[in-house]
Amino acid sequence: MLRRFAISCLVVVLAFPLLARTRPHYGGTLRVETAGDPWRNLDGIARSLVFDGLTAFDANGNVSPALAIDWQSDDNDHRWQFRLRPDVHFHDGSLLTSAAVVMSLNLSCMVNCPWTAVHAVSSQVVFTGDSPMPNLPALLASNEFLITLTHTEDGQTPANPVGTGPFQFSSASNGVLTLTANENYWHGRPFLDGIAITGNRSIRDQWLDLSVGRTDIAEVPPQELRQAEQQRLTVVVSRPVELLALQISDSGALANTMLRAAIAQAVDRSALYNVIFQKQGQITASLLPQSLTGYSFLFPADRDVNKANQLRGGLTPPPLTLATDGDGTMQLAAQRITLNLREAGFNVQVASAHNASHADLALRMLPLIGADSASALGIMLHSAGENAAVSGQNPAALFRAEHDFLDLKTLVPLLDLPCATAIGSRVRDLRLRADGRPDLAGVSLEGAQ
Amino acid sequence: MKLSKRMCFLAILGTALLKPLFGATPGPWEQPAAALAEQIAAVLGPGQAHLINHNLSSIPSSEIGVILRLLRQDLKAHGITYAGDECPNTLIVTFSESAHERLWVAEIEEGNQTQVAMVDLGPIQAQAAPASVGLTLLSQQILTTSDPVLAAAESPVGLVVLESSQLVLYTRAISGWQEQKRVSIEQRRQLSRDPRGVLTMTAGNQSFDAWLQGTRCQGGPTAAGPANNWTAQCHDSDDPWPIAQAPVTQASEQSGVSATQPASSLSAFYNASRDYFTGVVTPSIGVDLPPFYSAALIPRSASSAALLVGGIDGKVQLAENGALKPVAGARDWGSDFAVLHSGCGAGMQIIASGSGEAITDSLRAYELPALEAIPASAPLAMDGTVTALWTAPDGKSLLAVVRNAANQYEVDRVTALCN
Repeated sequence: MLRRFAISCLVVVLAFPLLARTRPHYGGTLRVETAGDPWRNLDGIARSLVFDGLTAFDANGNVSPALAIDWQSDDNDHRWQFRLRPDVHFHDGSLLTSAAVVMSLNLSCMVNCPWTAVHAVSSQVVFTGDSPMPNLPALLASNEFLITLTHTEDGQTPANPVGTGPFQFSSASNGVLTLTANENYWHGRPFLDGIAITGNRSIRDQWLDLSVGRTDIAEVPPQELRQAEQQRLTVVVSRPVELLALQISDSGALANTMLRAAIAQAVDRSALYNVIFQKQGQITASLLPQSLTGYSFLFPADRDVNKANQLRGGLTPPPLTLATDGDGTMQLAAQRITLNLREAGFNVQVASAHNASHADLALRMLPLIGADSASALGIMLHSAGENAAVSGQNPAALFRAEHDFLDLKTLVPLLDLPCATAIGSRVRDLRLRADGRPDLAGVSLEGAQ
Repeated sequence: MKLSKRMCFLAILGTALLKPLFGATPGPWEQPAAALAEQIAAVLGPGQAHLINHNLSSIPSSEIGVILRLLRQDLKAHGITYAGDECPNTLIVTFSESAHERLWVAEIEEGNQTQVAMVDLGPIQAQAAPASVGLTLLSQQILTTSDPVLAAAESPVGLVVLESSQLVLYTRAISGWQEQKRVSIEQRRQLSRDPRGVLTMTAGNQSFDAWLQGTRCQGGPTAAGPANNWTAQCHDSDDPWPIAQAPVTQASEQSGVSATQPASSLSAFYNASRDYFTGVVTPSIGVDLPPFYSAALIPRSASSAALLVGGIDGKVQLAENGALKPVAGARDWGSDFAVLHSGCGAGMQIIASGSGEAITDSLRAYELPALEAIPASAPLAMDGTVTALWTAPDGKSLLAVVRNAANQYEVDRVTALCN
């Protein structure tokens, strides 16, 4: 199955001039459509264009310098200091300072931060933690910790988002967000003059606009990859970049580990894979994929209702709630899981997204980013609200860490899923970022002058 | 039990017979097999075990038999012998791999208990590319680095590499090029997203001259001190960059420079905020050039040369006799080309990167007898995207910078083999 998936990805990718050979041209405006709000979510497409992090992931998932040019840890990873890149300016012209970085980080992370305190010391940003923070450079590369200007030089809150990124906010009207190239970007001015992002467009509308040349970039949810191919869209598909997982509360009705283990045994991954996600991605019972660790096969993914019933041991928990914050497909997946759980003696109702924080179960998409297994696991667990310190590159030690965590039965891995993007004929030099999204900052347009 | 004993005996006999064969030629699997056997023995202790194996890796099945024999041999040395499936102890050995590394995993089942042992074999080695037919282009990797390489130049004593923010000087060592010095380049301007540079050797290949956006650096070995001690100084500069240089031959030394014929060397003004030359060259060649990515001097006769220009609009044109003429047969060319004086065929070929849709780039030789580029070799597949290409000072080889899939930058020497 792994091989079939890899081949299908390769076919789609090879069908498209991903790396055009002539040098990129400067100029032109890229038109992008998205189903969500380009600003609202952490992974909103505009955020990574307007803001930078202290660190960044390169295309292979390695942590590389961004607003910080280097960093070092002391005291067994309890203290980290990041040295800021000199002469970087926010889009309003103000200088990037360590104090501005600290204010931004304090605003973006008020609770459940990977660090205990963050301070500005000269041109350095210093993090201290009560627990070791071995993966802090990787965590700081995530969208959660992008640096924004919180206060202008006269102490006012900026009217529009201001960052240091390759593009700057220009306008937002009639549902179209317009960004223009940052001429003084520290990593080189983007090839594009601007990007126009239309949010809240349905997938069908995006594809229609792409087919008639009204947009250059459209989204393709994994479960609709086959339809996109049938419609002869040019689609670029990433490696698996998200883990669909069932998060189980370890308090209240599900405080008993055996009940959580019963739920883990009762979920039918094959149905999710075959029906809901239309055979895209990979079934998994491990947090990290086989392609990253080589040991994923050690975690059995088969459903066993009899074993689930045995583990439940005659206990009948009160009605449970399952929440998901995703789209229609996630709702369908959640409903499918409630059916699985009913067969194993659990009474589960799908809750609305508003009640997600009080739900007993939550269906979640967790990021699968990072070239090294320890960083990827650290980022994933942080996203799941677990501040576990995962360090070292020894496969046996990582396996034990993952095995011990999964034994708690608070997180049940289900599917590894790719990210897919449909592109128009004008788009050149498109590369995928480590999170599978298109790297629009590096795109150029055919025929641009 | 009888069956089990017989199988154990056969296994012992088999390993005893095969041991001299494998003992004579230690292969890549011996050490990991021994390490896995040691870990298994630490868990299981001496006794019998039933062995099952799965291959989830790219190791060919023909090799798996060899590995299993080694593993059984090593297990036996730890007192663990092979048994049939009636044995309560089961070893499930999986030859697995991630995208980067091989991993051998043993699941050791003793009754209801399962323990796991793992051996990490390290990176998977890539295979070399095959050769081609006709006038054959050959590529030899001379340097790999994680930093973007803009240009490089070889001299008898050293290799100078121009990166976007530093010059790196290497000296020859027995094991290859050894880094000797790094000189930081203070950039006052923001770098382009597609940074480029030019590096030339001067004065008998002893000193170098480097150009990049808004900066020029000059350096070479110090007059005093060790022979391999280099220095370099950089300063702001908007000077034009040398773009095309005819190789030093008797014919070119005797040729004069006219207003309508390109000189034996040309410089061009670079658009420092973009990734192309403006079209203004010096000395003037009597024709207005479009903005271009690449240019090369093409000898047309014993006393004249033409300038081949790859425009940013994708058109390849020849500036000759005061006119700009389109070149046919260059639709597959990428943005980079350079001249190679191979001595094969017409004596000189243009080596162009491909504009195809493959994930990796290729280089191909072309001849230009008139105004049509004629392929003179099969494409030479490169390990990634060719980001820079230029002619070496002797004209008989090219240097290419290739960004590979792992985002590493390779400097390759490209030569031709006449058939």
